[in-house]
Amino acid sequence: MTQALTIDRITAHYGTTKVLEDLSLSVAEGELVSLLGASGCGKTTTLRLVAGFLQPTAGAIRLGDKDLTRLPAHQRDIGLVFQNYALFPHLTVRENVAFGLKQRKVAGPERLKRADAMLDRVGLAHLADRLPGALSGGQKQRVALARALVIEPPLLMFDEPLSNLDAKLRIDMRVEIRQLQRANGTTALYVTHDQEEAFSISDRVAIMHQGRIMQLDTPEVLYQRPANAFVANFVGFENLIPLQVTTRNGAEITARTAEGAALTLSQDQLGPIPDAFTLATRPDGLQVTATGGAGLPATLGLRTYLGRAYQYQARAGALSLTANGPLSQPLDPGTAVTLVPNPEQCAILKPE
Amino acid sequence: MKRLAGWMLASPATLAITFLLVIPVAITVGLSFGSPGQGDWGIVQPYADFFASGFRRNVLWRTFTVAGWVTVISLAAGLATAYVVARCPPWMKSTLIVLAVFPLLTGVVVRSFAWLVLLGREGMVNQVLQATGLTDGPVAMLYTQGAVIVAMVYIFVPLMVLVLVGVLENIPEDLLQASSSLGAGPVAGFFQITLPLAVPGLIVGAVLVFTASFTSYATPHLLGGTRQMMMGTFLQQRALVAFDWPGAAVVAAIMLAVIVATVLVMTRVARRLNPMAT
Repeated sequence: MTQALTIDRITAHYGTTKVLEDLSLSVAEGELVSLLGASGCGKTTTLRLVAGFLQPTAGAIRLGDKDLTRLPAHQRDIGLVFQNYALFPHLTVRENVAFGLKQRKVAGPERLKRADAMLDRVGLAHLADRLPGALSGGQKQRVALARALVIEPPLLMFDEPLSNLDAKLRIDMRVEIRQLQRANGTTALYVTHDQEEAFSISDRVAIMHQGRIMQLDTPEVLYQRPANAFVANFVGFENLIPLQVTTRNGAEITARTAEGAALTLSQDQLGPIPDAFTLATRPDGLQVTATGGAGLPATLGLRTYLGRAYQYQARAGALSLTANGPLSQPLDPGTAVTLVPNPEQCAILKPE
Repeated sequence: MKRLAGWMLASPATLAITFLLVIPVAITVGLSFGSPGQGDWGIVQPYADFFASGFRRNVLWRTFTVAGWVTVISLAAGLATAYVVARCPPWMKSTLIVLAVFPLLTGVVVRSFAWLVLLGREGMVNQVLQATGLTDGPVAMLYTQGAVIVAMVYIFVPLMVLVLVGVLENIPEDLLQASSSLGAGPVAGFFQITLPLAVPGLIVGAVLVFTASFTSYATPHLLGGTRQMMMGTFLQQRALVAFDWPGAAVVAAIMLAVIVATVLVMTRVARRLNPMAT
């Protein structure tokens, strides 16, 4: 029933503006892949192309072995959950859920039985006779989910489904979405701009920027081993330190910044390191130590209080860095320190 | 203090409506009733007289027929036009709306004279029909029920378009995308989503057109003549030609009753078709 989705080198335009270029992506059977990025990155466009609301100017979209590219939207058999729910306001909750079955000519009693069973699964059986206008945001989204699931689609798609809900509900709902998707084993494509949401429920995440996929991998790999500066920045590696290898001693290498500050790194920990590279760290991965040791000599600037640590804006030569220091000793602006990257929280970016 | 200010602000309009509408209507309705001891029917004797007359029943029935046809045709034509207009890009939409509303910019008398020129025995339509050999002699079009209906449809379609474009534009695109993702083709989507959601607009349009054509005077007077008398023209004849004020008051009261009933029935129908509509 469930099928793999293949997006094969699609290009799309809005008028004469190119919004997607040569984008390829595959979602395996039963897998949940998220498209993550800021607005305008092309994630919603990709979803609209798969749904059939927009035609690609080049490339193909396949579901299993069926070519969807030229198929009208209503023949694609895709369950779609919208950001603003898109419930039919003139139909009751039950009629909303049964709508897809009605189009499939499922007989009346059978239709109601299946709609009620699905409403029961999302915990809304008691609201079946209400109109959508009488429901809360979370309830509406559950109805939208039930409506998309009841047609047992080979592919489910979500367009920012939780962004109109409050924070607490958002977490409950994403767990629920993941459980239902897992239980049905449905292939799913999930569009969101919320990193935590994407990482928490996806098997794989595609980080998108300007109509291209910057990196597509498991959340763990994206979070720990970003492939490029954009993704590194996106997942919170705020410090990008360009370095040049000066000596190699087995797995140990020594690299210097443009100003000549030397860092010693281990390829055992960080993987193979090319001669020219960028060391990316999060603020937590840059330790503030007294001057003199090995590391980047820097001068502290503004201090902000994070609750679990102090955060400092620091300058090391031409580099602006962000580092977190312990609560036990607040340091004043102007203090000279040495910043030491913690290799466990670093990533190596190859030159692009 | 605040309440007093509210009453003061509302008073000019309230007074105007009371003296210029409520009281005259009350007087008219009062005038339509007979005296208690009179005839078999007592105070409703004038109404019994009205319905006893075949000619008057005919006028009432004709008015219903004409208003009904005008409403149905305007609804269909208006909905089709509005559906196309609502889907146009914005610049084209405003152009099309201005064009659609054009007929409303001419006065009713001028418009009716234009129809006289078009539909008369020597009119343009007859000339074209004969020149193309579709008919041998002139066809009588003026002073028929058809002429009245055509002329009224011409003026009410723009009104309907105006009402319906707004309603159709307010139906979120998402809903149609949702319906197509659930397997509804364009036709199924139209009948199951667009049409039910347009019901409030269709009702408003239908009530407007029905009441306006039921009570119209100038068009049936100029294009229908005395043979196609409608309630409006009959009322004018009773009041200003025959000076039969009680008779005219009966006609007026019946028209009022029909209109109020229409509004009530339509609101109920709307609620039945679309529970959202109020």
